[in-house]
Formats: sequence, structure tokens, C-alpha cells
Amino acid sequence: MSDLRTAIERATPRRKRWPWVAGAVAVLLVAGGGFALTRGDASTGRAAVAGAPVHGGTLQFALIDYQRSPDPQWGTNYAESLIGNNVTDKLTWQDPDTGEVTPWLAESWEYNKDLTEFTFHLRRDVTFSDGSPFDSEVVKANFDQYVHGDEKLGINPNGAILLPGYIETLTPDRYTAVVRFEKPLASFLQASSFTANAQPGFLSPSTLKLSAEERTDPKKVIGTGPFVYESWQPQVKTVLVRRKGYNWAPPALKHRGEAYLDRIVFNTIPEASVRTGSLTSGAVDATLDVGTTDEKPLADQGFKIIYRGVSGTSIFFNLNSRLFPTDDIAVRRAIQLGWDREAIRKTVLTGSYSVATSVLAPSVPGYVDYSGSVLRYDPEEAGRLLDEAGWKEGPDGIRVKDGRKLVVKLLGISNLVANKPAYESIQQDLKKIGIDLRLTVVPIPDYTALLTKAKTDWNVVAANRSRNDPAVLNLQYGPALGNGSFVTKESPGIDVDEVTRTLGRLELTLDPATRKQYAKAAQDLLLDKYALVNPVYNPSQVIAHADHVHGIIFDAQSRNHFVDTWKSNGK
Amino acid sequence: MLRYLALKIGRALFVVWAAFSLTFVLLFVLPADPVDLLFDPAEVNAVPPEVREQVAAGYGFDRPVILQYLTRLGHALTGDFGTSVQSGRPVVPTILDVLPSTLLLAAGALALALVIAFVIALAATSARRAWVRDLVEALPSGAVSVPVFLSGILMLQIFSFRLGWFPAFGDRGARSLVLPLITLAIPVSGPIAQLLVRSFATEFRSGYVTTSWAKGATRGGIIVRDVFRNAGLPALTIAGITFGNLIAGSVITETVFARQGVGRMTQAAINTLDVPLVQGTVVLVAAGFALINLIVDLIYPLLDPRLRAALATGRAA
Repeated sequence: MSDLRTAIERATPRRKRWPWVAGAVAVLLVAGGGFALTRGDASTGRAAVAGAPVHGGTLQFALIDYQRSPDPQWGTNYAESLIGNNVTDKLTWQDPDTGEVTPWLAESWEYNKDLTEFTFHLRRDVTFSDGSPFDSEVVKANFDQYVHGDEKLGINPNGAILLPGYIETLTPDRYTAVVRFEKPLASFLQASSFTANAQPGFLSPSTLKLSAEERTDPKKVIGTGPFVYESWQPQVKTVLVRRKGYNWAPPALKHRGEAYLDRIVFNTIPEASVRTGSLTSGAVDATLDVGTTDEKPLADQGFKIIYRGVSGTSIFFNLNSRLFPTDDIAVRRAIQLGWDREAIRKTVLTGSYSVATSVLAPSVPGYVDYSGSVLRYDPEEAGRLLDEAGWKEGPDGIRVKDGRKLVVKLLGISNLVANKPAYESIQQDLKKIGIDLRLTVVPIPDYTALLTKAKTDWNVVAANRSRNDPAVLNLQYGPALGNGSFVTKESPGIDVDEVTRTLGRLELTLDPATRKQYAKAAQDLLLDKYALVNPVYNPSQVIAHADHVHGIIFDAQSRNHFVDTWKSNGK
Repeated sequence: MLRYLALKIGRALFVVWAAFSLTFVLLFVLPADPVDLLFDPAEVNAVPPEVREQVAAGYGFDRPVILQYLTRLGHALTGDFGTSVQSGRPVVPTILDVLPSTLLLAAGALALALVIAFVIALAATSARRAWVRDLVEALPSGAVSVPVFLSGILMLQIFSFRLGWFPAFGDRGARSLVLPLITLAIPVSGPIAQLLVRSFATEFRSGYVTTSWAKGATRGGIIVRDVFRNAGLPALTIAGITFGNLIAGSVITETVFARQGVGRMTQAAINTLDVPLVQGTVVLVAAGFALINLIVDLIYPLLDPRLRAALATGRAA
């Protein structure tokens, strides 16, 4: 049959030449695409025009996350805290450089000797964007709901972790608020300026009455901040517009009056290459979440890279003090000494990041540099410590003691790009001195799941904690609180009471000199005396922006404020 | 006929129920606790137990699992999937908000995929030279093999960042739909094109085509008038697979192009163990899947006289 068909077809003359035409079109398309890809970008020739701030314009900002709700008092990601900071204000402002707590919505404050009562004297000219006044009743209503939540409204106790032992807020007069705690809480002063996840930003009484569901209408989420919500589109973007009549930026910022920008659009762009491509093509003015490998190419193309280390602790290895083999202090010390900091600095980190020199980030008041002492690379000393403790080299190069191998199991989060390569570098170095570090570096949900068995299953938990106050050490390592190193009676050679006392003291004073001394004692104890933690590196929040953008502020928690931001072209 | 109908509908309902129950089981077998994910991961170990209990009670996570299942099932039957753990919004409006974007993307991509598939099949059938035919026939497997995120990013690089013809992200009217449509249509067109190429080839060799040749019809005329009609029908049979491809592709397409949609929302909901939201979307997708297969099962007899005859004599499939 097919012969017949072919025969019939062959009998008709060939007329069409379409395969050649189609082929030519295909070649042209591929070539054109290639040309477009490789063609140099000639559009970036803007000159930097610094000088007097220009009013007006829309800032197109890109970031990886989106707000799951416009309510700034809850949230666990960066978009939520970042946007919340520009819609609400806090009682105080922590200076990102000095760590000093300075006035904001509170003009002044005092506290009792026990540090259980904090009295704030409020500014009198502050209003919410719905016109209602900001006063002590509002502070009380906010703190009450923030700490206790409201089951009927579906509001979680978002502030319960930040303000442990909160009793009540008293309102002796309209502009005085007294916040009371069960126990001394020196870190509350810094907490009153807190700008990270689940922050104590003030919402108007009309917003506080709303249920969690009603708060997903952004127009009903009312704050006192320099911007107000215009729209919120989950997964896509949040748009803020300038608040008319705003005149209470933190005095430390020296910004008077309203924000310069008319509007900010926070565009959620999950893909790294799309964020950088949007920046270079001019679709956005600035982008957060710049990957370590993108920094240099963007800088070479004339974009400005700005960054700030994430405040609080460094990325740390918390060493489990009650689980074999990290219950042996020789092993813990060997881990501290056994890895090459310089290798990580060169191969994993960029100039925006730094190798950890303490468990505290350098920006935290009371930070002490240990790079010359316990946190140095000294494989010989590490080997000697292990030899002395009876760890003998086994046939495969991994040390053995009493028939048990020196295997250290690590649980970490893969959310930061530098984490895994940094841990792998440490893994290689430790292998050379006979320690087998096994890595389990997973996304956040898996991490939280595995973390429930951290006490009995994991020698090392690798994470970090964002809080620009030395009391973060008590929250993270205090045996009755976070207990990061699982210090218990079963931890050999560790005096639990001493740890509790030494870390707990950080909550007992706000005198800068005494606090500094306590912070040093706490770091000495954690890093040197008991070697409970091996700090690795200090992560950073990195922004790349076009050079017509000015005045993006990183606060003490490394979140951004846009009240002082302007664009030279004013568009 | 009635029995056929009841059987098919029963099967569709079973699929939806099974999807609902399976997701529930999976989410509870997973070791992660949805309550933990409401807190900063670095602070999870510092959450006081009473706070954790209060939050768990707020969402009903503290009750026995079987009771939670029955309550959820009962509510789901009335169309109430509860409230999203992460946003506090009811699940149904949350899904309905983003559904139009995904439907638009999926419908457009499907239309484009069909066009691409038919063009490939027609080109392969009408090609006289063997090498051209081989080349065209290799396109479907090529289309399936290219990862969506790669083709999406490549397309963005060329048409958004370099040429500036289309916006790179977000939902900004028709122009922002072009690149995602093409990106999603390419892998979806693959299986359809493959099926069409094969059935076109089969039909092209059948007796009635030879008759047409003998009557003096041109190659183009035969393909359009005779082959096209008969060979197009089998594409319907893989409507289910196509739907699956569209849903899977939309997760990545929506992520690369930063569009809102059901795919991306499901991914986020799974990452945060947002049980009610995951169940809502899974049931929606399962219902869509079952409905499409049901429709295909029901209309196929109408289109194919042979199957109609078989049904009439009572030999139901």
C-alpha cells in the first residue's frame, strides 16, 4: 500500500522549498538569541548625583520572601519584618553602630533598680494614620495582645518569647507607660527597639480589635510609621505610600518630616538570577538577598553593594555537652582549633561576610575578639589535646577511644548559601586531625523537625540568632532557656549553676561598664572555660542598588528603613 | 449507560476523598510540627511550653488525630477547609484569590501547547525528506527534556533583560503573561505532540488515505481534510496527563516569573506545613483531575461511534 502511495506522490512535481526556508528561519532565531545574550549592556551610564535629597519617586525593591500577612507583629521571615518596620514605629531606636538605645516614640525612660519596671515617657505629637492618637493606653493594649495573644481573634502570643515574664503595663497618665515584669529583664530595653521577626511595632486600637483574618486587609492595618499600606498581594508584592504629616523618625537618624519617597514597591522575586537581571535591566532600583557569587559581577557593572552583618550571634556550632563524643571537652576544643579560618574567608565568603571571632557578632555591645586565643587555626594543638584525652588514630584515620569512633553529627539549616560550603570546609579540616564530622544540612521544616531530638541525637546544631544585645547569650545558652549546648547534670565537668549564674547576670544590669564585664565573662565561659560553642562566620544582609538610590538604612537588627531613602532622578 | 455514569462518578469522588485523606496522613506522618514553624527557627528551642500549647490549641492541633481528621473531613464536605495557619485567612478565599492567575496561565499554555503539538504533527507528516521528518519528530522529546526553570530563565535573559520586550516579574497585564505561557507550553506540548505524530502517521498509512491519493488529492489536502480529523481525537485521552503537567509546570513557572498562583502557594504551604491550605489545594487539584477524566470518559462515547455502540449493547468499560 505504501508503495502505491509513494508512487502516486512521486508522480506529482516538487514545488515547495519550505524545509530550507524553515531551516533558515530557525538558524536566524538561534543566532539572534545568541546575539541578544552576548550583547554588551550599553544602558548603564548613569552618573552618581549625590547632594541634597530629592523628594518623590517610587522605589522598586526586590526580595526573596513575601508577607504572609500584613500584620507586622507576627511573622518569621525577612519581608515581614522589613515591611513592618516601615509601617510601624517602636518605643526606642537602637543605634546600629554603638548599640546605644536612643529615643523614638518614647522621649525618655527610667527603670527601677531590680530592672523589673520600665517607665517610658511618650512623645505627645504622634498619631496613627487613621488619625487616632498614640498614648499610654495604646502601648498597654499593644503589649497585652502582643504577649498574650487573643484566642477569639486568632492572634498568636507573638511577643511571648521577646518579653518573658511580662505582667502588665500601667498607665499612670496619658503619656507615661510603665511595663512590669516578674523577673529582672535588662534586655527589655533593647527589646523595646526590636525590629526583627515578630516585632513590637505599635498598631492602632482599631487594628488591635481585628481578627487575624481581618488583618489580611492591608488598609485596615494601621501604624504610626513613615509609610502606610496601599496594597498587599501575597506572593507578588506589597506597596507602601508615604504617610502625610509624619514627623517622628528616630532623632538619631536626623531625618525631619515625611519620608522622601512617594511609594515603595516590595517585589517578591524568588529566583536569584531574576532578581539580579531585574536590577541590571533597570526593572528594580535595589534588591536584597544578593547571593555571594553575584556581588562582584554587580559591583563591576557599577551597582552599589551595601551590607550589614546580621546582629546577634554568629553562625555557630552549638556543641552538645552531654552526648558522646562532644561530652569530652578535649573534642570540643579540638573542633574549635581544628579548622582553617583563612580557607573559608577566601573560598566561601565575600567581603560582606566575616569569619567569626566570638559567639557574638562584632556589632553587639560587649563583643570580645577571641581570634588570637581559642578561635585560631592550630591543628597541632588540637591533635595534642585529643592524644592527651586518649583518642588514638584508627585504621581509617579517624580517632578511636574505648572502641568508639570520633564521629560528630551535625544538624544545620541550608537557608543561607554560605552555610553548606563553610561546613564542608570545616569537615575536611577536621578529618585531617581524625574527627569525622557528618553533615545533615536541610531546609527549615526538616531542621525544626530534627531539632526536637537534638538533645539525644545531634552533637552539633548549627544556626544563628538575631538579637543585637549581649543577653542573647542567656536566651540561647541559659540552661533554663534555650540551653543551646544542653548543659545538664549529665554534662561531665560542667557546673550548671555557674553557667546559669554567669549568663543570667546579663539580665541584671543596664550599667554599660558592668554589662560589658558580664558579657566578657559569659563569652569566656562559653568559648574558653567550657568550650560549648564553635563560632563559624558572621552572615550578612546584602543589598545591591543602582547608584541613583541613596540613604537605605540598616538598623541594629540589619533590617532596612526607607524613611531617609531618595532617588536622584525623583522618579 | 446509567451504570457507566455511576461508576465513573463514583471513581472520581473516591479519588478526591483519597487525596484528602492521604495528604492528611502524610502531613501527620512528617516529623515536623506546624506549630514550630510559626516561630523563628533559631528561637524554636526557647518557646515556653505554655505558649506552644496555647498556639497548638488555637489551631486544634492538640486534639486526637482521628478527631482532627473527622472534623476536617466534615467541614470539607460543606466546602470549609478551615483557616490557613500562616496567614490567618480562610483557605477557600485564599485559593480563589490566586486561582484565576493559574487558570489563565494554564488555559493559555494549554491552547499554545495544542497549537505547537499540531504544528509539529502536521510538519512531521507532511515532510517529504526523511531527515526533516526525523528532526521534527525529535522535537517533542526535546520539549519534555528541557527543564522549565532553565527555559524560563533563558527566555527572561533574552526577552526581558536584554531586549526589554516583556516585564520580568509579577502580574502586569497581558504582556507579562507571554513568557510564562511559552515556558509552560513547551513541556506540556511534548507528550501531546508525540501522541499526535504517532496517530497522524498511522492514519496517513490507512486505506482511505490511499483512496484519496488515488482520487488525485494533494498531500496538504489529505492531511487537513482526512487525517487531521481522525488523528486529533486520541489527544483527548491524555487530558489527565496534560493537566498534571500543567500543574507541575505551573509551580516552577510561577516561581521563576514571580507570579501569584496555586502552584507556588502549594509549594509555600507544604514548606510551612500549613495543613489546612495544603489540603485545600490538594483537594482542588484532585477534583480538577477527577473532573477532567470524568468529562473525557463521558464525552468520548459521543465522539467515537464505535464506543457508543459498545455501551448500548451493555458492555460497559
